[in-house]
Amino acid sequence: MRGLLKSNYYAVRSNVKVFSAVMVLLGIFVVAVDNEIPSLIIGYMLSVMIGFSFNSIASAGRESAAKWSVYKLTTPVKRADIVKSLFVSQLLWLFVGMVFAGIIVTLSVALHGFPFDKDTDIFLLFVVGSGISLFMGAFFFPLFFWGGEERKEVFLVISLLCGIGVVMGLTTLVNTIFPPHMTSRIIWGGCMILACGILAFVLSYPLTVGIFRRKDY
Amino acid sequence: MENILELQGISKTFPKSDFMLDKVSFSLPYGAIMGFVGENGAGKTTTIGCILNTAAKDSGMVKLFGREMLDADTDIREKIGVVYDGDNFPVYWTAKQLAQVMDGLYAEWDNALFQKYLADFHLPAKQKIKHYSRGMTMKLAIAAALAHHPQLLILDEATSGLDPIMRDEMLDVFLDFVQEENHSILISSHITSDLEKVADYITFIHDGKLLMTASKDELLYRYAVMRCKESQFLALDPGDILAYRKRELQTDVLVADGKEAKKKYRDIVIDHVSIEEIMLLLGKGERV
Repeated sequence: MRGLLKSNYYAVRSNVKVFSAVMVLLGIFVVAVDNEIPSLIIGYMLSVMIGFSFNSIASAGRESAAKWSVYKLTTPVKRADIVKSLFVSQLLWLFVGMVFAGIIVTLSVALHGFPFDKDTDIFLLFVVGSGISLFMGAFFFPLFFWGGEERKEVFLVISLLCGIGVVMGLTTLVNTIFPPHMTSRIIWGGCMILACGILAFVLSYPLTVGIFRRKDY
Repeated sequence: MENILELQGISKTFPKSDFMLDKVSFSLPYGAIMGFVGENGAGKTTTIGCILNTAAKDSGMVKLFGREMLDADTDIREKIGVVYDGDNFPVYWTAKQLAQVMDGLYAEWDNALFQKYLADFHLPAKQKIKHYSRGMTMKLAIAAALAHHPQLLILDEATSGLDPIMRDEMLDVFLDFVQEENHSILISSHITSDLEKVADYITFIHDGKLLMTASKDELLYRYAVMRCKESQFLALDPGDILAYRKRELQTDVLVADGKEAKKKYRDIVIDHVSIEEIMLLLGKGERV
């Protein structure tokens, strides 16, 4: 597993270096600018969380140009471990995105004050960012192992759009179920979206393993 | 003799393809090198895929170290080193990063041995693989395959595309590897001259069907090719003909026993036969 995680890390590293540099510069800009209108900070938080996750899943199959994706199957790892390593990698990069988002929002609040209406808005932003990322991964991995490397780009776009769509749909559902202007609505709604995202991500794993086990290389 | 690898009736079909692997059976004993010979598309890589479980077989059984290897049998894969043709590893890696990945995959990964191979093969550890020549990438793959102390090496066209000097260097490494009596190599190739140098056994495959498995010495010293005129060919006992190929002025006939044929057909020119010629006769020739 350690070797697979390293392999995944090397696949994503060069892209993540560029992305991190851009996010650091953008983060400095966000911190430097007054946050009275919080749209900049909202945009930053969502893009940094989704961006790191997107980079992680986009690097899946990068090794297919070489025979490493076949070679891996001849090493002492199970197919399930290969899939697991991709899911774990995505979670780790999502965590990195959350750390970036957390640092920038903390610095912005420290310098310019709290820009949102309620404390729970920040929680909701983390929920939306991580929810979209989790749904994106949950859709992408089974599609990728089913359709193969040659359709990766379209699966990435579909997964991202599905992730956004599902979170928007769940948000609408939450707004319908719970009465308006309630703090508890935001907390419960956020927890529901996050729980659905985690559930989809967890259920996607055995589905992906099942598809991968039937594949010939 | 105990076998490190046994294939019994391996069959595999592919959807939307006429090609099928048809009941392939052969065994590789401990301490031996087997050349797996066939033209491009004959089924060598598919057979290797079935051996290594990268492709699911429809029927038959593959035994490695006396056991059938399932996905969960990682302990068996610890003992197998694999080299594929071309880029085995992502080109954005360095040899150093490859070592770090392999160290996390193989319990028996020997970094000191890997570094020794890098030094012996003159491979820069910090240079990205994309800057390696083809020969260097193959050497790197062989170094990686050997550095976790495998007992069985499976090489799929590992020497194709290498110049003769580099191929010779690699063949020496393989010969060195089989000095240990519990080590074996299955080497698929269509460069038959390499196999004549190192292989103990040769297995021929053509169009998904196993044609023959024999010891190399038997093939080179017992088998023969008769150069027959039309009338001589027509007079041959069909039971002596393994395969024949009509040329412009003669018909080449492969026979299993050159000495016997010499006694029986005194007026026919009988030559020693190379592995390449056997491959051509079995692959492109006709049967009686």
